[in-house]
Amino acid sequence: MLNVAGDLSGDSWGIFTFLCAALCNLPALPALNCTEELGAGQSIQKTYDLTRYLEHQLRTLAGTYLNYLGPPFNEPDFNPPRLARAERVPSATVDLDLWRGLTDNARLAANYRAYSRLLCYLRALEGPAGTAELRHRLGHFCSSLQGLVLSIAGVMSSLGYPLPVGGPSAPPGTPVPSNDFLKKMEDFWLLKELQTWLWRSAKDFNRLKKKVPPAVVTLRLEARGF
Amino acid sequence: MRWSVRRQLPAGKQPSALLVPSLGKGEGFLEAGGLRSRPGAKMANPVPSACCVVLAAVVVVYAQRHSQQESHIQYERVGADVTMKCGSMDWDAAVTWMANGTDIDASHLNGSYLILKNVNLTQSGQYSCYEGSSWHLKYQTHLRVGTPPKEPLLMCRSNNYPKGFYCSWHLPTPTYIPNSFNISVIHGTREMVCEKDVFPKNRCHIRYLQLFSTVKYKVTLTVTNALGKNSTTATFDEFAIVKPDPPESVVAKPVPNNPRRLEVSWQNPSSWPDPESFPLKFFLRYRPLILDQWQHVELSDGTSHTITDAYAGKEYIIQVAAKDNDIGTWSDWSVAVHATPWTEEPKHLTTEAQVTETTSASTSSFMPPPTTKICDKGAVVGSGAVAVCWTAGLVLAAYGVLFI
Repeated sequence: MLNVAGDLSGDSWGIFTFLCAALCNLPALPALNCTEELGAGQSIQKTYDLTRYLEHQLRTLAGTYLNYLGPPFNEPDFNPPRLARAERVPSATVDLDLWRGLTDNARLAANYRAYSRLLCYLRALEGPAGTAELRHRLGHFCSSLQGLVLSIAGVMSSLGYPLPVGGPSAPPGTPVPSNDFLKKMEDFWLLKELQTWLWRSAKDFNRLKKKVPPAVVTLRLEARGF
Repeated sequence: MRWSVRRQLPAGKQPSALLVPSLGKGEGFLEAGGLRSRPGAKMANPVPSACCVVLAAVVVVYAQRHSQQESHIQYERVGADVTMKCGSMDWDAAVTWMANGTDIDASHLNGSYLILKNVNLTQSGQYSCYEGSSWHLKYQTHLRVGTPPKEPLLMCRSNNYPKGFYCSWHLPTPTYIPNSFNISVIHGTREMVCEKDVFPKNRCHIRYLQLFSTVKYKVTLTVTNALGKNSTTATFDEFAIVKPDPPESVVAKPVPNNPRRLEVSWQNPSSWPDPESFPLKFFLRYRPLILDQWQHVELSDGTSHTITDAYAGKEYIIQVAAKDNDIGTWSDWSVAVHATPWTEEPKHLTTEAQVTETTSASTSSFMPPPTTKICDKGAVVGSGAVAVCWTAGLVLAAYGVLFI
């Protein structure tokens, strides 16, 4: 079985990449099937570390991609109004008291759904992206993001929560951008949402860390989906 | 007899007390004095003329007082040319101008107009114009010389995340005249209200309605005074302005029987509302007073730390800073605390057997104070005694190897 326990080191990224490559062909995102004891607290810590790593990676990626989109998207003061349209990705923005009151399950599920969607849209960027270097960077980021999704799934499994159903497909009625500029605008907001989610997830997992005692060890064997 | 004096009141206001001169007939009321006429009584002859005299005197006094202009304030730019007219007096009237009670000589006058060229700040004050012969005050004004406002400096910061943030501002150079500030905060399509603080005055605060927003906040500050206006705008993301206050109650204590240790503890800043959900990480820096270079330690949790490589007997200066674990910037450094590691009492000679740490090869390169002669653990001694220390250390190491 795949051993996903262990210290977060350079080797783990390789494992994640392999995992991503293997699972990219599956129609639905699977649940983790672990025979190893996986402390929920440990998983949460690793997921937290992953969000920080991705946030760091995103800074470089976003800079490169926005330069590819060109002005005004790559200007630091660029502050466009949010066009009223169907939200592609669930927004990270939330009322403070609501966020505080989220159950662990709801918190994890919100993260899981958001990143699944974000991953799907990011993958769509890979094709038309300009240079080979940009495509490579996007691809690498997508792999890491896939790892994050799986990590969150792992945490949910180890805590006994069911994974949210529904594939990461575009919701019905999403308008297709009509022109090049609007398409670029959508890309811009996608990156913004991704950045905001990563920063929110750090706080989400901080909160989870406090609520789930690190010594909890759970043995969960779940086979689902295949 | 009923007395009354009509007083002119501002338009629109109803007189609350009307005293109208009357000669015994009609409505009236009692004035202080207790005069009361019997209805229908006949007035004596000298009384009506006395009435008239008094009435005339009252009217004259009133007219004189009322002929003065209301004192008002005039704002002018530094370097401008100011012309003051003496109220409604003609150009060729004979007048005297005074500035703050001092006569102004006629060279500044053009007829009855006062001309001040290229005014500077020292010329602010009260200017009065008196009619030449009667010395009646015809016109009075306060001249305030100042400048229009330069672009203000605006700073916004969240030291109480996730509750909200505050913005504070000031002018880079004084204008010398009163200024008013207006601040507006726009978040996406919504305009938020920034509540002004009582103290300090140039500050207002906002509560976050939502967290983790993708839309930036745009704060515009406009400063206006009688001579002009100016404004500045700051645009930022919610997480970019997070900067906690420095840690509080920093305490550094020596550790008994450990000449190289200092125990430092501190508390979360009291303005940080929720350290449980939004934990802080800390940065500690310390150095002996006699050195310039700081040593740094970053701590991801906990509010205490033990320094284990302090130079024995040296006074240390220690500071701590805080930062949200994930976002924002470091706080300013805390108040500095001083501490000296524990040192032995001078009369007790440390025996070699008690030395547990023989690694006295510290990385220091400075000259130690001449008083430290005892070769106890961790102490850096004068060059003459180093050889003795090393020998002692080697001997001890040899014993240790033999007996263990």
